[in-house]
Amino acid sequence: MALSPAASRWQLEAEAAAGRGVLARRYRLDNGLGLIAAIDRRAPIVSLQTWFRVGSRNERPGATGMAHLFEHLMFGQTESLPPGELDRLVERTGGETNAATWVDWTYYKMSLPARDLELGVRLEAERMQHLVLEPAPVEAERDVVTNERRERVEDDVDGWLDEQLMAHAFTEHPYRWPTIGWMEDIRALALPDIRAFYRTWYAPNNATIVCVGDFDDAQLRELIARHYGHIAPAQLPEVPRVVEPEQTRERVVRAPKPIATHRLLVGYKAPGQDDPDWAPLEIVSTLLAGCPSARLYRRLVIEKEAASSVDAQLTPFRDPSLLRLAVTAVRGFDADAILALLDAELAALVEQPPGAAEVDKAKALVETDFWSALVDVDGKAEALGHYETALGDFRRLGVIAERLTRVTADDVARAVRGYLIAARRTIVIAEPEPDQGGDDE
Amino acid sequence: MPPLIVVEPSTDTPLVWFDVAIRGGASADPLGVEGLHRHAALLARRGAGTRDRAQLDETLDSLGAAIDIALSRDAVTLSGLALARHLDAVVELAADILAAPRFDDGEHARLLRETPQVLDEIRDDDSALATRWFDWLCCPGHAYGRTSLGTEASLARIERAQAIELWRREVVADNLVVGLAGDVDEAQAARLVDRLVERLPRGARVVPDTPVPAEPRPGRRAILVDKPDRTQAQLRIGHLSVRYGDPDTPALAIAEAIFGGMFSSRLMQEIRVKRGWSYGAGCALRRSRLPHWFEIWTAAGLDVAGPAVALTLELYADYAARGPTDDEVDFARSYLIGAMPFHVATARQRMQLAVRDAVFDLPAGYTARLPEALGQLAVGDVRAACARHLHPDRAVTVAVTTAAQAEGPLAGAGAGDLTIVDHDEY
Repeated sequence: MALSPAASRWQLEAEAAAGRGVLARRYRLDNGLGLIAAIDRRAPIVSLQTWFRVGSRNERPGATGMAHLFEHLMFGQTESLPPGELDRLVERTGGETNAATWVDWTYYKMSLPARDLELGVRLEAERMQHLVLEPAPVEAERDVVTNERRERVEDDVDGWLDEQLMAHAFTEHPYRWPTIGWMEDIRALALPDIRAFYRTWYAPNNATIVCVGDFDDAQLRELIARHYGHIAPAQLPEVPRVVEPEQTRERVVRAPKPIATHRLLVGYKAPGQDDPDWAPLEIVSTLLAGCPSARLYRRLVIEKEAASSVDAQLTPFRDPSLLRLAVTAVRGFDADAILALLDAELAALVEQPPGAAEVDKAKALVETDFWSALVDVDGKAEALGHYETALGDFRRLGVIAERLTRVTADDVARAVRGYLIAARRTIVIAEPEPDQGGDDE
Repeated sequence: MPPLIVVEPSTDTPLVWFDVAIRGGASADPLGVEGLHRHAALLARRGAGTRDRAQLDETLDSLGAAIDIALSRDAVTLSGLALARHLDAVVELAADILAAPRFDDGEHARLLRETPQVLDEIRDDDSALATRWFDWLCCPGHAYGRTSLGTEASLARIERAQAIELWRREVVADNLVVGLAGDVDEAQAARLVDRLVERLPRGARVVPDTPVPAEPRPGRRAILVDKPDRTQAQLRIGHLSVRYGDPDTPALAIAEAIFGGMFSSRLMQEIRVKRGWSYGAGCALRRSRLPHWFEIWTAAGLDVAGPAVALTLELYADYAARGPTDDEVDFARSYLIGAMPFHVATARQRMQLAVRDAVFDLPAGYTARLPEALGQLAVGDVRAACARHLHPDRAVTVAVTTAAQAEGPLAGAGAGDLTIVDHDEY
């Protein structure tokens, strides 16, 4: 097959496995646009995702929610597409569009029949360059976002806990504000600032296209070069590195809510995802609450019958973040009682660190989770896009998976001693309002 | 007769999924003992064969595996996930759960204490709460209206012996549908299915006595589920419709997509895009073995809750009366046919669809072949199906919100007589 002129504009930078029989390759176009292409012909579909290195961390106080607002605006009118046309064109094929924003990234997803890949590339290129940001559609989406916030935060106790945890665990780092934004900021985002945000961040040299599915590699590169090759790179602003000051004392926040029982969210300061300590802490997280035989789950839910649910999550952020423990108490147990039980179990973890068998158990569960995330083309694309955008290289997917296989009991004991420290934790408690029953059994 | 077996081999990952669907499900709970199927299935998972609950959990976790219980109106499903190298061991554990559950007395009592906590969690979740109330009130007397979790009162009536008897009666080979997918070949799968069922007692397939009211109650009704401090109203609007597999199912799939099954649908455009009243709005015909609900959902800000209900009912009445346009039918047909490859892209998806079709007593491949039926439909077929099965005059509206602010606007929304209940009454 003859190479098109476009082929000479691409540089192959890296390649690595992205699951069984799937090889992911990263190319770079001469305007800085990244492309990760991974052929998987097991179904006649493609997952086309465009990842931008912009998230809520790139906002400023008073204008929070900007990155997330774009997750909505980017489905609107462009210079060549009337309002709603992008969704209609994709839905007519049987495909779907979606988007997500988090602290370190924003991405736009199209799931398309393989034969419609060109449509997807054309639409993504169009909205990267020619989004129309006029007052009326911006106001309409602002209303939608405020309703999204009401549903996910104001009227959702778990959403409220999440938001309060980050707001109090971080005093300097941009992780302290919510990705959806504070309500007063969402309402105040000004059109000139919205337009400036788009011009600043939505550029080829700030994006990586991830395509996984049934396509031809050379044809995909030709297609992307044709639709994106003429777009000039932007002058990306220098992003100052914010180092969160070390936390030296425990922080506690309490508020009454119309709920039946107490809920707690505890966040321990933890390293960023690329830190070597992240893997042993991920094992700790699994051992605490990642399975039915996990220590905290057994202690709080089964033995003490003090909680109806226990969850642990080590957030996969670029910069240092949190190991979060979430507990829903049952009637008869208040937050302080839960906290005492939790502290006793964590103390036991320090005094009697997990042995090799317990660590191997967590590693087996993590292995299953790893493969579960790569079952379909969307999952593979999301994994590749996350590691490329949050950590700078999609091959960190394999590196971190490898680190997890090498974690030892000593590593886990060291992580427990180094990170599960009360002075470096933040606790958010939602308490039943006085007329909600609570401890009245 | 052996259980119906579905095998979907795939070597994409070193994982294997298996589902064992036990026909019956929550709709077969005895009246007044709602929650019994869930209780029996969870209890079976809490210790079987030579292992108590802790030993079973520990063994599964050490293999990196999971066996979970899922409950629908029509079946209890034991769902397994295993690394292929541990598949034999995990299937042995599943076989123990099916054939030799301990039904430990202590775990029985503990589960009876735990389930009310789940009810508390639902009361804290407005969306789940709206669905729970809507299920109960949509069509009184319908077996699908019985709560799968139970109520505090029905849980108090559950006895261990009832759970044992239910398991003995329903967990028989003839009553199962078994599916495997992933890194497993057909010969290995057949051997494993034998292991799953070889210790099960003989018995007939269960055909639950599931009441379905012949003629839903006429007239609109509205229920405000009062909960303090809400900033929105979680809304459910709908009525009894048809079973999945009814001859009109393909036409209703198109009707559903047009009204609320796509981003381009009427509901999403009118409520979210044009007015910004909600983050989302949609509708669905609940897929079940027997006639189930046609349900509309959205969540609107308190200030527009009344207008949102009024508009939704107006849109629905217009749609039911006039049906879709030619262009809408063409568009939705194209969407649904094009979307099918996404629903059958992985071995697990194909297996689960096939198991569901079998539980619903549909011909093998029914769902996978829907695109063929969609391609043969005329616009008139869709309009006729709308006229037959969409009944805005019988719509039941449930709103979880704060009565002090929402009562007046909801009472004036044209949703029928408004009843106010406290959110923790049910």
